[in-house]
Amino acid sequence: MYNSGTQGNKPRTPYHEFYADDFTPRDHYRLLWDHIKATGNNALEAKAHESQLALQAEGVTFTVYGESEEGIERIWPFDLIPRIITAAEWVKIESGLKQRVRALNLFLADLYGEQRIIKDGVIPAELIYQGRDFRREIVGIVPPRGIYTHVSGIDIIRDEQGEFLILEDNLRTPSGVSYMIENRVIERRIMPEFFSKYRVRRVEHYPSLLLAALRALSPRGKEAADIVLLTPGIYNSAYFEHTFLAKEMGVELAEGRDMVVINDIVYLKTTTGLQRIDVIYRRIDDDFLDPLVFRSDSSLGIAGLINAWRAGNVAIVNAPGSGIADDKAVYPYVPDIIRYYLGQQPILNNVPTYQMTNVTDREYVFDNMERMVIKAVSESGGYGMLMGPSSTAALRKEFVDLVLENPRNYIAQPVVYLSRHVCYMDGELEARHLDLRPYVIYGDDIEVVPGGLTRVALRKGSLVVNSSQGGGSKDTWVLAE
Amino acid sequence: MRYLIEHETVLEYPQTVREHHIELRLAPRSDGHQRVLSCVIETEPAAELASYTDYFGNRVDYFCVIQPHSRLVTRLRSEVETLKENPFDFEAVPPAEECEWLAKAVRHMPSWNDFVLHRSLLTPTAMKLAEAVSCAFPRQDRERPLLDALMDLLAWVPTVLEYRSGTTEVHGALTAAVLQGSGVCQDFAHLFITVARSWGIPARYVMGYLDPGVSEAGAAMATHAWAEALVPGAGWVGFDATHNLLANDHYVAVAVGRDSYDAAPQRGSFKGESAGEQPSVTVMMQEQ
Repeated sequence: MYNSGTQGNKPRTPYHEFYADDFTPRDHYRLLWDHIKATGNNALEAKAHESQLALQAEGVTFTVYGESEEGIERIWPFDLIPRIITAAEWVKIESGLKQRVRALNLFLADLYGEQRIIKDGVIPAELIYQGRDFRREIVGIVPPRGIYTHVSGIDIIRDEQGEFLILEDNLRTPSGVSYMIENRVIERRIMPEFFSKYRVRRVEHYPSLLLAALRALSPRGKEAADIVLLTPGIYNSAYFEHTFLAKEMGVELAEGRDMVVINDIVYLKTTTGLQRIDVIYRRIDDDFLDPLVFRSDSSLGIAGLINAWRAGNVAIVNAPGSGIADDKAVYPYVPDIIRYYLGQQPILNNVPTYQMTNVTDREYVFDNMERMVIKAVSESGGYGMLMGPSSTAALRKEFVDLVLENPRNYIAQPVVYLSRHVCYMDGELEARHLDLRPYVIYGDDIEVVPGGLTRVALRKGSLVVNSSQGGGSKDTWVLAE
Repeated sequence: MRYLIEHETVLEYPQTVREHHIELRLAPRSDGHQRVLSCVIETEPAAELASYTDYFGNRVDYFCVIQPHSRLVTRLRSEVETLKENPFDFEAVPPAEECEWLAKAVRHMPSWNDFVLHRSLLTPTAMKLAEAVSCAFPRQDRERPLLDALMDLLAWVPTVLEYRSGTTEVHGALTAAVLQGSGVCQDFAHLFITVARSWGIPARYVMGYLDPGVSEAGAAMATHAWAEALVPGAGWVGFDATHNLLANDHYVAVAVGRDSYDAAPQRGSFKGESAGEQPSVTVMMQEQ
């Protein structure tokens, strides 16, 4: 996909979520703004302090991995001022996400089945066969109800014109949903007066939605569904979320070593003996899931799990192999994937993307690196990424070499100046860039939880919102009609 | 030809292991070139066997031994009839149409892209390999039939590698074998595959058995390895670079894959203190 060429020369002012162009609050923020003005900065300061204490007391944390192997646990950074999405805006986001998730699941079923989309020449075979996350080990297995991505967390940004664009599909083990819920809980407690002025749709029922979707997958029927949440353990950056969801859903939190497969049946080892398990909500990567078929040095997984899955005795959520559909080199093809399987135009557009396997694209990107984001296709969380505008010449040189060594492993996108929002920062209201990750559950039907995780780049001017890179967050309100 | 094959693998551990899961790719293939007349797999301790067909079309038998054990034996006994007397017996495609024939075949079978695109330590990029090889690679000349070029390649491999058992590891890097100028049958197969792929020709690895009357005199009977390349008009043709022979009815194919790792006869995962011990393998192949 190519830039129009003029885009780079236009003045690029990020869209402001809160203020209209004349610096008055947008209509749906007016009530909130009036309230903030009336109560004043001192009240905000007190509330900010109170929210900090509440997060600390509740132990809402996340882990940052830096240079050292050992992670550092931090209190979840939360901003008081909610982000508000109107009912009309949400209609578009919701329908766009449902369409995308439906198409991506058809795509996965096809890739691991007949491969019509390759035979018809819509997707180049090389793209799939050179993708690290195309799992040959599961070809021919049909997962329960043909669903691969029961949980998706899809990143949406807003460009300079205010258009919502899809930035990334996260279809493996997307995290952050616990923070979406915690943000709401804190916001309701600290700012109850905000909620009296708006009709905000609920997000707190997410765990019950997920539980219903998991139960429905049980090979023994949903009345007899024994479920575990499979975690890599306490050192994982999302361990807080694993414990949170297990507790909220009332399911067992287990590690691979707590489980065993005997003749294609999966069991949890309990103090009273073996307990049969029907559904595994796994929060570990494919690579580590089953040492018999994937990485043999993995001690996190369960040997024999894939054979049990093939035999239809257990459901795995999300299905192994889903990662090929959120491979960043496949991403530019998602609009074609939607057209191919659904015969519809995409409701939400992609960010323009350059493929490093294409020589023309690559040369263009190398000539304009200061205006580009370069991403490794199989990484997430802001790792393995070059942010052009803030990069050094040495780092750009390093990325040129990396790209040339393995072009299939990289894509580039023109830097999109993410929309901004007011944040309460050390006594002042300041503008910061943000994105949105709504969560989509594919159970009986596809459901998008009205809200999501709004991530904020806390450093002034920064466009990197990932929590692992020091991002913050806001409660996200979707308004009822 | 009719063969009786017995293949026994004994794993012994100094300390007991448990929760042992094993996958076997031991059952000979049934296809147009060979028929499996019987196939029995036994284990010690006794276990319940199940099977599935993997992505490459191989039959996989699997089982688990949960209780602590210090010895695990698997035993295969199979009778196979081989039918491919003359591997040259096919209708050739004119050289000008060979490229199109291959492209069409791969278009219909997208999974065969793997046999062109796959690179690993076992089958590296030709560029990586060229740094290790002192002599020039054979070239594919589009004017000549592809089979001729592949025959040249078949003859070239033994000029780079000398057969010496035990000199390389089973899943060892190909460049290591090429640098030392010697290797085992896996290395010969991988070298053939690597060069064929650099020409854009689909090539895959085959694990199986070779009639002991044909194999190296004095070599202990074991599994054998060779390569298969997709030849226009013929389909998959076996190239045994270790012996500079095309595979015929003296060969019994068991498993195929992108490289030896995919086609490993036995793979396992267990819990316990013991490190992975080297299995002791006994193979018997007898004409009937």
